[in-house]
Amino acid sequence: MKAIQRNLPALFLFVAVLLLWEGAVALFAIQRFLLPSPSVIAVAFMDNIDRLIHIGWFTTKEALGGFAIGCSAGILVALATSRWTVASETLMPFAIAANSVPIIAFAPILNNWFGVDNPFSKMMIVAVIVFFPMMINTVRGLTAIDPTMLELMRSYGASERAILRKVRLPNALPYMFSAFKVAATLSMIGAVVSEYFGGNRSALGVFITQEAAQFRFQNAWSAIIVACMIGLTFYLVVLLIERLTIPWHSSVRNT
Amino acid sequence: MTDKIVSLSHVDMTFNVGRSNATVALKDINLDIAPGEFISLIGPSGCGKSTLLRLAGDLLQPTGGAIVVNGKSARQARLDQDYGMVFQAPVLLEWRSILKNIMLPMELRGLSRREQEARAHELLQLVELDGFARHYPWQLSGGMQQRAAIARALAIQPKLLLMDEPFGALDEMTRERMNSELQKIWQQTGTTVIFVTHSIAEAVFLSTRIVVMSARPGEILHITNVDLPTPRTLDTHEHPHFFELETEVREWLRRAKGYTVA
Repeated sequence: MKAIQRNLPALFLFVAVLLLWEGAVALFAIQRFLLPSPSVIAVAFMDNIDRLIHIGWFTTKEALGGFAIGCSAGILVALATSRWTVASETLMPFAIAANSVPIIAFAPILNNWFGVDNPFSKMMIVAVIVFFPMMINTVRGLTAIDPTMLELMRSYGASERAILRKVRLPNALPYMFSAFKVAATLSMIGAVVSEYFGGNRSALGVFITQEAAQFRFQNAWSAIIVACMIGLTFYLVVLLIERLTIPWHSSVRNT
Repeated sequence: MTDKIVSLSHVDMTFNVGRSNATVALKDINLDIAPGEFISLIGPSGCGKSTLLRLAGDLLQPTGGAIVVNGKSARQARLDQDYGMVFQAPVLLEWRSILKNIMLPMELRGLSRREQEARAHELLQLVELDGFARHYPWQLSGGMQQRAAIARALAIQPKLLLMDEPFGALDEMTRERMNSELQKIWQQTGTTVIFVTHSIAEAVFLSTRIVVMSARPGEILHITNVDLPTPRTLDTHEHPHFFELETEVREWLRRAKGYTVA
């Protein structure tokens, strides 16, 4: 009940924007290929629902696969670099530089390497996109330890392994969840945009470009809504797992 | 003295040896500590008392001299988990409940889960935190967190308890209460304590001996024997001899160059 009350203003705004949009399209007689009205998009959505679910799931699998590959690789490299300071000092500047590169620009190259129809090429693009934020955040979490805490562990004769298990990894979890949340959003963006450069016929991004090319903009819009819903769901699932995993952390406990 | 738990002989400590910013922190420190003693280290800021504590705990290695703890090297004593440490900050793990924080050193020693929990509950009673086992550190006040840190340090019945200004961050009232509690715990457990402090009153109240150090490079200026009767209570503060001892320490501290009254 409280949750509904708290979200009431946002819900109200959402409905108001839809009504304004609908009204503006009718009032200014905006042509359908420029901006279809919400009601037209809704009809297109219902007409194409089976196909939209099919292509939505196809792209979701690419996003999830890329998320899994990229995040695992990011965590593994972070563990290695935080273990050996030489590796960290060598790799971190490159990782931080690479993080600000528009990796999506490499999409055509990776499409070429792994095959444009092969979902694996999209997974690899997503993996590369999510790798850097994942790795950088995990390294920060593993190394941002109160020096006194490390002294305490050493005073007990704790091994590096024990320090990793009992201090570094739990300390890194909140940092990793920040990265997971960023990666969840990025992975859906990455999957759809990489499909704009060509891909399997049953992919969300391919559907959007094809429908748009044939002036069926209401269909393109309905696919965009599917992409938004998937991205949002993915983010919310990560948020839920975060709350269940690190209830002790200051970012979670007071809300 | 044959019966000694800590023996420092001719200990020197220089930071950044061989570089232009080399700093001599400690010079020719000689100190023997008998089992069950409560030794306070007091001196001007930067005199190396925390450094001396870290040398005894093998968190730093001396550049000269020898440190023997419990009949072995400080390193071996550390690996044998002979130490308990308490710092100015409680450094509790925020993802662990108070009970689990106290269990940490016992986990590292590999005690059984049942033993760990039973002992942790005993310690919670000792530091008067029973009822807070399932609380998280952020739900406790600073004084309570520090008590939890003391309970954690006592968890593996350390031969030597090293305390680095443990009550420095607490207000005066809490500090006095913590002093009484620490005194009680020390008598109950019979553990040896090395205690770094800035407070003369605290040192006189708690110690068997007070080591007064000079400004950098830190040397032992004077050792005051505290022959006040035990157990010490709040009334001890009013004891005439308490004032005499305070004055003695204060005068030696004035001789330590660079001492400023905080």
